Amino acid sequence: MSASIEYYCPCLAESPHPPPPHLASSSYSFHPLHNLYFCEECDAVRCNRCVLMEVSGYFCPNCLFEVPSASVRAEKNRCARNCFNCPICRNTLSVVASDPEAGDGRMSPVVSTTLGEPPFFLFCNNCRWDSAEIGITFEKPTGLAAQLQKFEDSAPEALEFEHLKEHFEPYLRASSSALPATAAHSHHHVNPITAAASSALARDVPGVGKYNPLSRSRVGRDKNAGKQEIPDYKSRVEIGTLGALGAGGGNSDVEFMRRLEDMSEVAKLEQRWVNSWTASLRSSDLKPLRIPLQVKKSKRCPACRHILIKPEQKSQSVRYKIKLVAANYLPAIHVSLPHAIAAMELMKRSSTLNKSLSSTVDDPSVSGLIPGKTYAFHLAFTNPLYDPIQVRLKKVQPVPVPSADADPEKARRVPFQVSLPTAAFGIAAFAEAWEYEDEEDMFGQDDDDLDMDGHGMATKDGRGKTRAVGVVERRANTTVVSGEVIITKEARGNIRFNMLVSYTYRSDDAEPAEENEDGTPSRSHAVNKAPEMKNFSFYTVVDLGAVVRREGSRSELES
Amino acid sequence: MPPAMRDKITIHSKAVVPQDAELKGDITIGAGTIVHPKATIFAAAGPIVIGSGCIIEEAVILVNRRKEVMRIGDDNLFEVGCRVESPSIGNMNTISARARVHHTVRISSYCFIGAGCLLVPTEDEVLEEYTAVYGPSAERRVWSGRGRLQEADLRRKHADYLKEMLPKFNRLRRGDGT
Repeated sequence: MSASIEYYCPCLAESPHPPPPHLASSSYSFHPLHNLYFCEECDAVRCNRCVLMEVSGYFCPNCLFEVPSASVRAEKNRCARNCFNCPICRNTLSVVASDPEAGDGRMSPVVSTTLGEPPFFLFCNNCRWDSAEIGITFEKPTGLAAQLQKFEDSAPEALEFEHLKEHFEPYLRASSSALPATAAHSHHHVNPITAAASSALARDVPGVGKYNPLSRSRVGRDKNAGKQEIPDYKSRVEIGTLGALGAGGGNSDVEFMRRLEDMSEVAKLEQRWVNSWTASLRSSDLKPLRIPLQVKKSKRCPACRHILIKPEQKSQSVRYKIKLVAANYLPAIHVSLPHAIAAMELMKRSSTLNKSLSSTVDDPSVSGLIPGKTYAFHLAFTNPLYDPIQVRLKKVQPVPVPSADADPEKARRVPFQVSLPTAAFGIAAFAEAWEYEDEEDMFGQDDDDLDMDGHGMATKDGRGKTRAVGVVERRANTTVVSGEVIITKEARGNIRFNMLVSYTYRSDDAEPAEENEDGTPSRSHAVNKAPEMKNFSFYTVVDLGAVVRREGSRSELES
Repeated sequence: MPPAMRDKITIHSKAVVPQDAELKGDITIGAGTIVHPKATIFAAAGPIVIGSGCIIEEAVILVNRRKEVMRIGDDNLFEVGCRVESPSIGNMNTISARARVHHTVRISSYCFIGAGCLLVPTEDEVLEEYTAVYGPSAERRVWSGRGRLQEADLRRKHADYLKEMLPKFNRLRRGDGT
């Protein structure tokens, strides 16, 4: 579907109002609902750009082993057990045994041995690569990474890196002990993993002046004093000989490319760039890679530092200890264009024979909007709260899109007009039971509801289309309202407009909430009724899809 | 097809072919071959001859559009939902689930065609022995053949198991001759 809706997170802007949606930069402020969090303390929406992330644990995505943070660095952020990626296709490799020695007849009559014989090797089930091709075999099928360690550690690049680390080690130790206190007190309640990571980042890099505007000159002098202490680094290998080792560059590569007969002899870019250093061009030199570790992250509110997301420690578990996602607080909105759905249905029915459905779904000429026409659109609101809510919509007037070719008077005109229902409408409370109910039962029920609903009744025009602004349908905890968009002749691009959604709900906590905190959409007390009602509003951007130009759509249909 | 092929189905007494499998045209099925229910073997223009020990899973479609005999060797595995029109297939090949092989490709032996791969060259070609086709863009490489004895062993066990289990839940089809 081309129509979509995204929610606004005010973290990037100074003002509480969202940027006009036709600006390309505005897309950074809008997020799909499932990507947003909600801080109960601040009563505000938080997005992935503004939350504070912390590492809560490392694990291998293949064997799900939780790697203690102390050994992550020693294992170079990769799984140190039996998990490897295929160097050809990135699939996970499995350990297999060699075939038993048998007469090389087409097939030995009885191969009853389920277990193979000792030389074990890694085998890719996807592309049938095996590590015996590049001469890697194992005596026993366990602890493969440890068995490979000696290959890895003896590689010239790894040796060079170790050598470099060794060279700078005394200096690093000296400089880190010089400034222990400064880094420590800025993290109050941060777990040790994060603290270690951030202090590693904040640590001075020898030879690079630390950016510190206050004490810059002094620190700079200190660094210069320190720099003299380190002796010059002598590399183990001469630069020129690296090419001969197969580490890339130089005449050997040219020679290799010249004699190339088969494309598959060259390792592709995506096969090579996972390596930490320049790797050889030959695909025969590609080595299986230990699988990179992943982390579970916990997230905090940037303002009050309360935890929004806290995963369970176990890597097998996909549950959360704390999960404050916006989808549990804000009504979910789904936008649809009835005319596009109808067109799609028609296409589906007609294309069951030739099965070209996948192409027609994306075809803009089907679901697109034609300039100069009026379309109805539906907004389906789903209430996640256990109490009924009252929703009020307010549109933010679309701004004319400045276009380069059109004359200024034309450009100043608003490309489209949106009308939204102005009256507040209610959405029933969420109840688990509705999740299991039959679709048909609910359809029967909503007809009665519609009659009770006074305002904005759907009226049918001559062609049988619903053309009205108001509540269209009500079932379970979902209410569908209809709006209308009038597209002018000059309109082009996507029809996007900002919409302010405010809703009133009954608050659970009795304590009076603090008033508007620096402009973020926040709750304010409504008139004091018996159950305390609170109000929350948030901005969204509604995208109704692209405007197709008539001549463009016609030529598309012909082609 | 213009001159409609008369159905002439020959099934070896040790093959397992359920009545739910759809067989059309001149088809010969060898000893120990397993055809799952709902598989389709369609000898449209010329006959199809299947060797011994093959496994043809559900929703597989084998079609012969040519006049010549389509020969399928021994111990091939056709996984769920693949469609093969290749005029000749050797031994010990694996055609993975939902792969599709066009009638321009001849498959030799020990080839492996990965899941969902489309093999539709416009000109006739022969897949060399030990060719592995994999990935969304049907890349090819030659595998070493290490592990093929274990694979053959596994295939045999797979067939033995099916030979025992399938007749318990399906009515078997006998060839025309018996």
